[in-house]
Amino acid sequence: MSTLAQPALARSSHIDASSRGLSATGILRSEWIKLRSLRSTWWSFGIIVAIQIGMAVLFSLTATDRFGEISGAQATDAAVSVTSVGLIFGQLVIAVLGVLVISGEYATGQIRSSFMAVPSRLPVLAAKAIVFSIATFVVTLVSIVVAYFVTMPILAGAGVQANPFDGTLWLHFIGAATFLVMIGLISLGIGATLRSTPGGIAASLGLLLVAPTILVVIPAAWANTLAGWTPSSAGQGLYYWGGTFEPWQALLVMLGWVAVFIATAAVLMKRRDA
Amino acid sequence: MIEAQSLTKRYGQRTAVDAASFTVRPGKVTGLLGPNGAGKSTTMRMIVGLDRPTSGSVRVNGHFYAEHSAPLHEVGALLDAKAIHSGRSAYNHLLALGATHGIGSARVREVIDLTGLQAVAGKRVGGFSLGMGQRLGIAAALLGDPQTLILDEPINGLDPEGVLWVRGLLKHLAAEGRTILLSSHLMSEMAMTADHIIVFGRGRVIADAPVADIVGQGAVTSVRVSSPQAAELARLLAAPDVQITSASGSTLDVAGVSAATIGGVAASNGLVLHELTTVTGSLEEAYLRLTADEVEYHTQSVTPEVVR
Repeated sequence: MSTLAQPALARSSHIDASSRGLSATGILRSEWIKLRSLRSTWWSFGIIVAIQIGMAVLFSLTATDRFGEISGAQATDAAVSVTSVGLIFGQLVIAVLGVLVISGEYATGQIRSSFMAVPSRLPVLAAKAIVFSIATFVVTLVSIVVAYFVTMPILAGAGVQANPFDGTLWLHFIGAATFLVMIGLISLGIGATLRSTPGGIAASLGLLLVAPTILVVIPAAWANTLAGWTPSSAGQGLYYWGGTFEPWQALLVMLGWVAVFIATAAVLMKRRDA
Repeated sequence: MIEAQSLTKRYGQRTAVDAASFTVRPGKVTGLLGPNGAGKSTTMRMIVGLDRPTSGSVRVNGHFYAEHSAPLHEVGALLDAKAIHSGRSAYNHLLALGATHGIGSARVREVIDLTGLQAVAGKRVGGFSLGMGQRLGIAAALLGDPQTLILDEPINGLDPEGVLWVRGLLKHLAAEGRTILLSSHLMSEMAMTADHIIVFGRGRVIADAPVADIVGQGAVTSVRVSSPQAAELARLLAAPDVQITSASGSTLDVAGVSAATIGGVAASNGLVLHELTTVTGSLEEAYLRLTADEVEYHTQSVTPEVVR
């Protein structure tokens, strides 16, 4: 720290005319650098991969007797249920990460640096949502596909002949990855609204875990119906077909939840002092 | 150029900034001086659009901050050293910040070298000392090579070498024709760094003038005289526009008469003088005088009885 450069260097020699000004790609790149340069991101995604593959292997080893000799659509369903069983835990991890991605900025004061660079603010939220969604989608899809190929020989040994060239199999997988993206975006909206890590995680896990449990316990038809509409329940329709909602209906319900929380966050972000 | 017009910020009942109007001109270091809670930081946050004014407005180079298409090239700000995610390295923080404006790693390394952070650039910011955090904040402010710099208490936590460096840097940047606004509650620091001072007290601008004027206008010049015949000298000097206070039995503080006059009076009456000194008010005294009624948090002097 003893040798400081001369102040004359403050006049930059590395800013050229072409790099002057805010841009959408610049803000996206900034959010990507932010996401990849924090340990919490790598921990969370690492845990998702581990859970997704680990749970699938465990489930395939213990549940082989259950399926019997099946093929075709039945085998595809069996393969989907084996490879997606980890999502029940994965959604909790992605919910925590979704909150942290934004609440971490408020907790540390980073948000002031972010808003000084992008004073219109909303592009920060949009870029964060896009980058986080893409990362979550890719990580989830890759871990599910790996889980599928790891468990395929185990299932085949038990008589489940899931065909990897079955197009619907891949639609299921894409639905599963979309499910975690939606959960992540809901949590991002909650985190940006509450601006607090503990508060955001509590609210997010409350919505995913506590709300459906309480609604199911209430002895009324409306409560049970409502329980089916909560994100963790309705979202299952994206990858586990044949439930209350068709996949496209499940997608609409999830997009509705995302819209409510992200829109609330956007309005407050624009209005509040940072 | 920063122009504030009737800038006001209220938090519920509390008025943090009260109809403040001022202009910060380029080519000079302008100091924002005031006691804690006077509204300095709130004013700075409003300049860069983090806080929305309750009424009034503030513009940078003729535009609201949010209207600039390249805010980081227009204004660089160090608001507090904690505006950085503690889990990220200094290098990645600057890289992410610069990326929004298409500023690449070459410029990031340049400001890291400039602020002397080479050795710790790859380390997570959470482990930084206050001084290193300040250097990183200054690096972030310089990142876009801005025309205007806003620094809230920049020398907080810096070692003496760092303080000298910041002073030199600010004067150099001002000499390049940039607009520099820095805040401090340390008047001695202001006297050393600033050319022009805006004094805040309870959210209001209570003085806005060159450093020399603030010192001259707020402080009284007096003459300290020490003499074994102090009482007789005081009697001879007595006049309607002369104020004499006695510090001890043999020492007088005389205001309203020059040292030369007092010396003459003493000589013509055969009085012995042990000391005859003109005391010029410091910026510190001027500041305390100006803000005497404007301090938000008064402290009580601790008397020996209280201590016991």
